[in-house]
Amino acid sequence: MSKLLEIALGLVTGIGGFLEAGSLATAAQAGAAFGFQLIWAIALGTIAIAVLVEMGGRLAAVSQHTLPDAMRERFGIRFFLVPLVAVVVVSFLVLASEVGGVCLALQFTTGISFRWWAVPVAVALWLFLWKGTFGMVEKGASMLGLVTLSFVVGALKLHPPLADVGAGLVPSLPAHDTAQYWFMGVSILGASVSPYLFYFYSAGAVEDGWDESYLGINRVVAGLGMTFGGTIAVAVVACATLVLHSLGIQVDRYEQLPLLLSVPLGLWGFRLFAASLAIACFGAALEIALQLAYLVAQGFGWRWGENVRPREAARFALVYTVALPLAGLLIVTGVDVLKLTIFSMALTALSLPVTVVPLLVLMNDPDYLGDRTNGWLSNGAVLAVCVLACVVALVTIPLKIMGS
Amino acid sequence: MELGREVLDQQVIDARGIHMGKVDGVILSLGDGPARVSALVIGGTTLLWRIHAGLARWVERRRGGQGHVDRIPWDQVMKIGVDIKVNFEAERSPALHWERWVRDRIIGRIPGA
Amino acid sequence: MSAPQEIRLERLLGKLVLDAAGWPVGRIEEVLAQPEGDAYLLTHVVIGPDSRLAQWLAAAHQLPTLRALGLSRRPSIRKVPWTWLDLTDPDKPRLHRAVLGDQGGAAH
Repeated sequence: MSKLLEIALGLVTGIGGFLEAGSLATAAQAGAAFGFQLIWAIALGTIAIAVLVEMGGRLAAVSQHTLPDAMRERFGIRFFLVPLVAVVVVSFLVLASEVGGVCLALQFTTGISFRWWAVPVAVALWLFLWKGTFGMVEKGASMLGLVTLSFVVGALKLHPPLADVGAGLVPSLPAHDTAQYWFMGVSILGASVSPYLFYFYSAGAVEDGWDESYLGINRVVAGLGMTFGGTIAVAVVACATLVLHSLGIQVDRYEQLPLLLSVPLGLWGFRLFAASLAIACFGAALEIALQLAYLVAQGFGWRWGENVRPREAARFALVYTVALPLAGLLIVTGVDVLKLTIFSMALTALSLPVTVVPLLVLMNDPDYLGDRTNGWLSNGAVLAVCVLACVVALVTIPLKIMGS
Repeated sequence: MELGREVLDQQVIDARGIHMGKVDGVILSLGDGPARVSALVIGGTTLLWRIHAGLARWVERRRGGQGHVDRIPWDQVMKIGVDIKVNFEAERSPALHWERWVRDRIIGRIPGA
Repeated sequence: MSAPQEIRLERLLGKLVLDAAGWPVGRIEEVLAQPEGDAYLLTHVVIGPDSRLAQWLAAAHQLPTLRALGLSRRPSIRKVPWTWLDLTDPDKPRLHRAVLGDQGGAAH
């Protein structure tokens, strides 16, 4: 298909696929507690993920290797195991959070407890992967995710003072609850810079048959797609600020989140919120489950691919066939989905050096990237964000655990 | 050629383009003439030996062997580039034993596979 | 001539090498081979730093940012002919020569 169409589709995928349980929950909490003050964390996270996603795409297009493939081959099994285990553990928790998000959306709409929805949702996700193709997952789910633009509509209806929004882009110190502020900042970073995003994107580039001629498209899709997606997260912050912060309401229960849209948009706002939550989390869950399968299968050299029948790539299919029911089981236990979501975001931030540094090393290896290796700016910037995220997470997570 | 970097852990693909696995081990043959590369090893406990020798020994004792290992003689290796291509069809290879097992016992039993 | 012996490359990599005098030379990082006819003959062994710290600094050297910040060090590696290697005990490789103290091996 024409390159322009590819760009358009890629952008839609990036925008529609950006918001998920993590970015929604962290943005809502941050807005309710600190108003516009943490928007800089979203901006920083968005820039970082755009850069990382572009790298993942470039690696795949130039070397014709996906990230897990290249990691095993370049680092050997012992060094590969460390990021493998880290990404698997973190991804699983995020997967469970997404499943929980879908279940809660269904609870809001039907009144039936989210725990009853866990198994049907896990089965539905599994069926989608079992029967679907990569295109359906990547593009279908993300295009439906455009419904999350409702947050932009809701935010605009609330007439946010743009000067304050702009001021939020500059990091500032909070007037109160410093530890909480930094914990939320780091959770936002973890929600934006999710490893599953660039691992999935790099596998997608290979599934879609990208080569060096796609490098330009890759840059546009990664950059613009993530940026536009990030503005939806900013819109969530705006809604939370104008609806909850002004009333002094903190977000500590999922049930408070529909207010973000039901206040500006009435009953339709409530419906749009439920639809956004369900679709965004469903799409993210599909991607994470697939990404887990890619990671394990490619790391061990098994046959893999979403476009082939499950029996042609049996062990690959086994990974998501096991991961999804396990994630569903976690939700059936009645765990607090909001706490799980926020915690897995913070854990993601903590593990960033382990999950990102292998990618960085590969991006500087001419054996894989030829003359398309990283510039010093991208290296330095990504490294700085990872170190920052990890350090802040190391400090604030224990404080948060002790405090609650 | 750097054996660790270019051979070990690389993807092995059979004559039909099927992924067989990564090179888990390489056998070097000494003593009978000059030292040379003798074979590639995929599967079984080979990988486990590189992660934790003690665990590998324990598993081998319990299972009474190295498991389903494919030893690919070096002369069947055709190309070393982005991947390693070998000169035969892997359908019956022990390297794919677990793939076949999962397909026949688990995945293949679910409708729609 | 010794009987044909089989050595696993993946178990050789990372092993500590002592020289003939018993001094630690470093850990085996790589084995080099050259094609000759149909066979690939082993030519050299690359021996890298021994201590964990030196290994980490060498690994950090691959990231230009860390290099620029001075947080890494070029690894000190030696390329030694394969024939110098004594593998009568494959778990404890030794060199037939006393390398440290004289100028044996190409040290960088």
